[in-house]
Amino acid sequence: MAEAIAKHAYTGGAHAPVKKATFELFARPTAKTGLVGWLTTVDHKKIGMLYGGFAIFFFLVGGLEALLIRTQLIVPNNHFLEAQTYNELFTMHGTTMIFLAVMPLNAAFFNLLIPLQVGARDVAFPRLNSFSLWVWVVGAILLNVGWLSHFVPAWKFGGAPSVGWFGYAPLTSKAFTPQLSTDLWVFGLQVLGLSSIVASLNFIVTIINMRAPGLTMMRLPVFTWMALVTSFLLILALPAIAIALVEVMFDRNFGTNFFEVSGGGQPILWQHLFWVFGHPEVYILILPPMGYVSEILPTFSRKPLFGYPIIVFSGVAIGFIGFGVWSHHMFTTGLGNVATAAFALATMAIAVPTGVKIFNWIGTLWGGQIMTRVPMMFALGFIWMFMLGGFSGIMHSAAPADAQQQDSYFVIAHFHYVLIGGATFALLAAIHYWFPKFFGRMVPEFWGKLSFWLIFIGFNCTFFPMHFLGLNGMPRRTWTYDSNMGWNEGNLVASCGAYLLGLGIFTYFAVLIWSFFKGKVAGNDPWDGRTMEWSIPSPPPEHNFAAIPTVHARDAWWYEKHHQEEIAQERAEHIQAEESHGGIHMPDQSWYPIIAAFGLLIGTYNMAQLHHPVEMFNKVIFATHLPLAITGLCILVTACYLWSLEGPGGYHLHIAPDGKVTESRGDH
Amino acid sequence: MTRTRPAYRKFFRFAPAFLAGLGLVLLTSCNKVHQVFSLSGPQSTMVTDGPVAARQWDLFMITVYVTTFIFIVVGAVLAYAQIKFRAKSEADEKSEPPHQGHGNPLIEIGLIAASVALLVIIAIPTVRDIWYTHDVPDEEKGNALDVTATGYQWWFQFKYDTEMVKLPAGGETPLVTGNELVVPAGRPIRVQVRTVDVIHSFWVPKLAGKVDMMPNRANFLWFKADRPGYYYGQCAEYCGESHAIMRFRVIALAQPDYDKWLANQKQPARSVTAKSLAAAASVPRVQFASMKLESGAALSGSPEFDANPLAAWHKQQDVEKDEDPALVAKGRQLFSDKTCVSCHSIRGHEGIGVTGPDLTRVGSRSTVAAGVLENTPQLLGEWLRRPNHYKPGNKMWFGGFKVQDTQGEWQPNPKLSELSDAEINALVSYLHSLK
Repeated sequence: MAEAIAKHAYTGGAHAPVKKATFELFARPTAKTGLVGWLTTVDHKKIGMLYGGFAIFFFLVGGLEALLIRTQLIVPNNHFLEAQTYNELFTMHGTTMIFLAVMPLNAAFFNLLIPLQVGARDVAFPRLNSFSLWVWVVGAILLNVGWLSHFVPAWKFGGAPSVGWFGYAPLTSKAFTPQLSTDLWVFGLQVLGLSSIVASLNFIVTIINMRAPGLTMMRLPVFTWMALVTSFLLILALPAIAIALVEVMFDRNFGTNFFEVSGGGQPILWQHLFWVFGHPEVYILILPPMGYVSEILPTFSRKPLFGYPIIVFSGVAIGFIGFGVWSHHMFTTGLGNVATAAFALATMAIAVPTGVKIFNWIGTLWGGQIMTRVPMMFALGFIWMFMLGGFSGIMHSAAPADAQQQDSYFVIAHFHYVLIGGATFALLAAIHYWFPKFFGRMVPEFWGKLSFWLIFIGFNCTFFPMHFLGLNGMPRRTWTYDSNMGWNEGNLVASCGAYLLGLGIFTYFAVLIWSFFKGKVAGNDPWDGRTMEWSIPSPPPEHNFAAIPTVHARDAWWYEKHHQEEIAQERAEHIQAEESHGGIHMPDQSWYPIIAAFGLLIGTYNMAQLHHPVEMFNKVIFATHLPLAITGLCILVTACYLWSLEGPGGYHLHIAPDGKVTESRGDH
Repeated sequence: MTRTRPAYRKFFRFAPAFLAGLGLVLLTSCNKVHQVFSLSGPQSTMVTDGPVAARQWDLFMITVYVTTFIFIVVGAVLAYAQIKFRAKSEADEKSEPPHQGHGNPLIEIGLIAASVALLVIIAIPTVRDIWYTHDVPDEEKGNALDVTATGYQWWFQFKYDTEMVKLPAGGETPLVTGNELVVPAGRPIRVQVRTVDVIHSFWVPKLAGKVDMMPNRANFLWFKADRPGYYYGQCAEYCGESHAIMRFRVIALAQPDYDKWLANQKQPARSVTAKSLAAAASVPRVQFASMKLESGAALSGSPEFDANPLAAWHKQQDVEKDEDPALVAKGRQLFSDKTCVSCHSIRGHEGIGVTGPDLTRVGSRSTVAAGVLENTPQLLGEWLRRPNHYKPGNKMWFGGFKVQDTQGEWQPNPKLSELSDAEINALVSYLHSLK
C-alpha cells in the first residue's frame, strides 16, 4: 500500500550545495552500509538492530553462565567449578541478564518501534541515540573485562565481579573484596545507568512531541505507552543507584565512610538506595513485555485490546506503586513491624493492577478468532507463566512467610517465572512477531513452534522444582550442597531442564539466522497487524513513512485498511505538502557519539584502576593510569564540544511516483 | 494465500493430553518420583518443630489456598477462551473479523473489587503474624533464654549472655561456643543477631524464618523448639567466597540434659593426665561410606550420623576411650607453637584469640568447619591438612586475615601448610580431648 501511496507525489531534483557555516573536525560520514555506516549511524532502526544484536549476544553469554551454574549443581558436593568462579558466574548471570540482555532488548524494540508507532521518521535526538548505544557498549565491556583473568592469569582483574548483582555493602568494601573486579562493576553499572537515562529522555521527548497528527495519548499503541512509563521509571529510578554507586566508589577509592562500618557507615543505606532503584527496575523489565503482549494478542485474536484505558492506567499505576514497595526485598533486615506491614500491604496492592492486565488480556481473547502462530504461542505462554510468577509474588508479600522464602530457591523460582516466563517469553514473541518487519523475511512456523515447546517444557522443568527446593530449605547463591539435605533430585531435574531450555533457545536463534538468509519473503503486513509499523514496507525504508500518516483511531492501521480511499487521498495531500517544503528531512550521521563513548571507556577503565593498577598493555607506555584516565576524559569532553559545533546537518529525500527515492544535500 | 496444515499439528493438538498422561505415568510408576517430592529434609520449612516456623508455614498455606483458587478460576477461563475462540480452519482466519469490542467497564471494575477482596484474606493474617513472629509473646518473656549469635566469614559464634563463666585469671565472662547452639527445648530463645564483618543471616528453617545479621543494627529473632532435636541452620545472605558452606546447628535438649551440658561447658578446658587414660585398646571410629577424600568432594554426614543426629551428638559428648596423654600433650604444645593460639581461645589452656571459634570444648561438637565435616579424628585431620579445600578463602589457611601481597596473590599461612602428618595427628588428639 505504501508504494501505491508514494506514487501520488513527485517533485525531484537535487538542490545546489551551499557552503557550510559549521566547524567539523571529522567530516560527517555518508556511508549507509559497511563498518563506518554502522558505527556512525543515527538511524533508529540500525541503532535498534545493534542494540538487539549486542543484547542477544549477552543473552546467550548469560545463558551459558546459567548452564555452568546448573552443571555445578547437578549433583551434591560437585567440584566442577570453584567457589569463587561460581560466585562470579551467578553475579554476572544476574547482572548480564538484567543490564545486558533484557534491558537492551527492550531498548532495541523502543528504538525500532517507537518512531514507527508514533508515525515519526526518527527519534527526537538521533545523535544522542547513537551515543546511548555506544555508552551501553562501554558499560558492557567494563563489566565483562574481568573474565579475561581466567584466560590470561597475568591480567589481574581478580576475575569477574563476585559481589552479587545486588552488591550488598559492606561486602563491596575494600576490606572484603579488594579485587579490581568490584571497581569495574561499580563503574560498569554507572556507565550503563548513564546510557539508560540518555536513551529514556530521548524516548520521552519522541513520544510526547513527535506523534503524528491525530495520534492523541489515548490512541497511542499500548507498547509505546508502556515504553513511556518505562522511560519515566528509568530516569526516576536510576539516580538512586547512581548515588549509591558513587558512594561505594568514594568508599573504595577515597576513604569515605558511607558504608564502612568501622567509620560509622550504614550498610542498610545501600540496600535502601539499591532497592529504590531495584524494584522499579523489575517493572522496567516487565512493562515493555506487557506492551509486546498487548500488541500481539489483539493481532492474533483479530480484535482490539479489551479495556485499553484500564490497561494503560494500570501500567501507569504499576509505575507509581512500584516506587513504594522496595522494602519487600528487605523484610528480613529488621525494618520494624510497622514498616514491614506497610510494605507488605503495598506489595499486595501492586498485585491488583498486574492482575487487571491479565484479566484484560483474557478479555481480548474472548470472542476473537485466535490464530496460534508462534508469536501468539509465546504470548499465551507469557500469560500462563507470568500468572504463576505473580502468584508466588503474592506469597512473598506475606512478610512472615517470606522470612522463610527470602534468599531461598523459592525466590529464584518466583523471579524466573516473572523474568523468563514473563519478560523473556514476551521478548521471544516480539522478536518472532517483528522479525518479518525489520528483516523482510518470515520465520518458519514449524521450527518456531518446536523451539516454543522446547523452551516451555525446559523452562518449567528447570524452575518448577525450585519452588520445592526453596521450601525444603535450599538457600540461594550456594556453590554446593550436601547430599543429605533432600535436594538431590530437585537439582538434577532442574539441571536437565536447563539443558533442554538451552536447546530450545539455541533452536530459536538458529532458526532466526536461517530465516534471515533463506526465510520466505514477507509482505508489508504478514500478520494482518493493527498498528502503524505494518503500513510501511518490510524492511522499512530509512525515512520510514513516505508521508506522515494521520491517525483516526486507536488501531490506526486497522482503521486505514478498512477506510482505504479516505486515507489514500489524505496521504497524497501530505506528500505534496512535504515536498513543497523541500522534501523529507533526514539527520546526518556523526562520528562524535562513538568517539565520546570511546573517551568514556578509556576514562572509566583507567579511573577504576587508579588504586589497583593492572599491569597489562600499558605497563611499558604509562607508569600510572592517571594520565590515561585524564586523556579519556578529555576525549569525552572534546567530542561532546565538537558534537555541539557540528550543527544539525542533514539531507533531503524525494520520493518519485514510481517509489524511487533520490537524495539531495544543502540548506533549505 | 493458503496455509497447509502439516501432520505435526496433530501432535500439538494432543500435546496437553500427552503431557498430562506422561506426568501421571511418572507419578504412579516411577519409584523415584516420591523422592523428588519428598520435602522433609533437615532444613525443610514444611515440617516445622516450633511455633514461629509453624505460624510462618500456616500463613504460607493461606497464600497458597487463595492463589490456587484464583489460578483455578482464571486458568479455567483462559483455557476455555483459548480452546473455544481458536480459529478452527483457514476459512475462519479469512472470514469477516469478529466484533471489534473495546471492553466492558462493569466487568473490569468488578474484577478489581474481587481481587482486592481476595487479597484482604491474605492481608489480615499477614499483619497479625508480623507482630507474633517479631518478639517473644509477653506471657513467655520471663522464661526466655537470651543468646547472641554473631556471624563471621564463614562461621557462627554463640554467646550465652546470662550464663557467666569464671576466667582462670579472675573475673567472669559470658559462655561462648561456636557453630553449635545448644538450647533447652520448650523454652523461648531470643537470639540477638550481630556480625563482625559483612551481612550474614541466621536461618534455622524448622524453628524460625531468617533474620539478617546487619552491621550497626541490633536485630533479633525468637524461636522455640517444641521437642529435643538436632536442627540444621545455614547462613542465608550471600557473604563471600564460602557463603555456601557457612552452616551451623541448633541442638535442643530436654531441660535436665541442657543443665548438665551447661555445667560442663562452664568448666575450664579438660586436661588429660595419665590417670584419666582408660584401656588403651584402640576402637576405630566408623568410617563413613560416601567419603571420597581424594576426589575432592566435600563431605556430608555418615549414614549412622544422619540416621539419628541427636544421638550422634550425645555420643560426641563422651570422652574417647583411646586417648594417649603423651600425644595430647604434644598436640597442646603444637597448638601454641603453630600460633593457633593467636586466633582461638581454649579457656584454661593457652588460647587467647578471638578471630576464630572458641575451642574450649571443640571435641564435643558434632561438626568442624561450621557444619562442613563430621567431627571425627580423621576428618578433623583432613580439615587441618587442607582447610582451603573444604572452606575456600578461610582465614585459618591465610594466616589470620586474608590480605593480598604486592603481586595481588593471597599467600597461605606457612605454619599451617607445613604441618606434618604426625603433627596433625597430635593436634587432633589434643582437640578431641577437649570435651
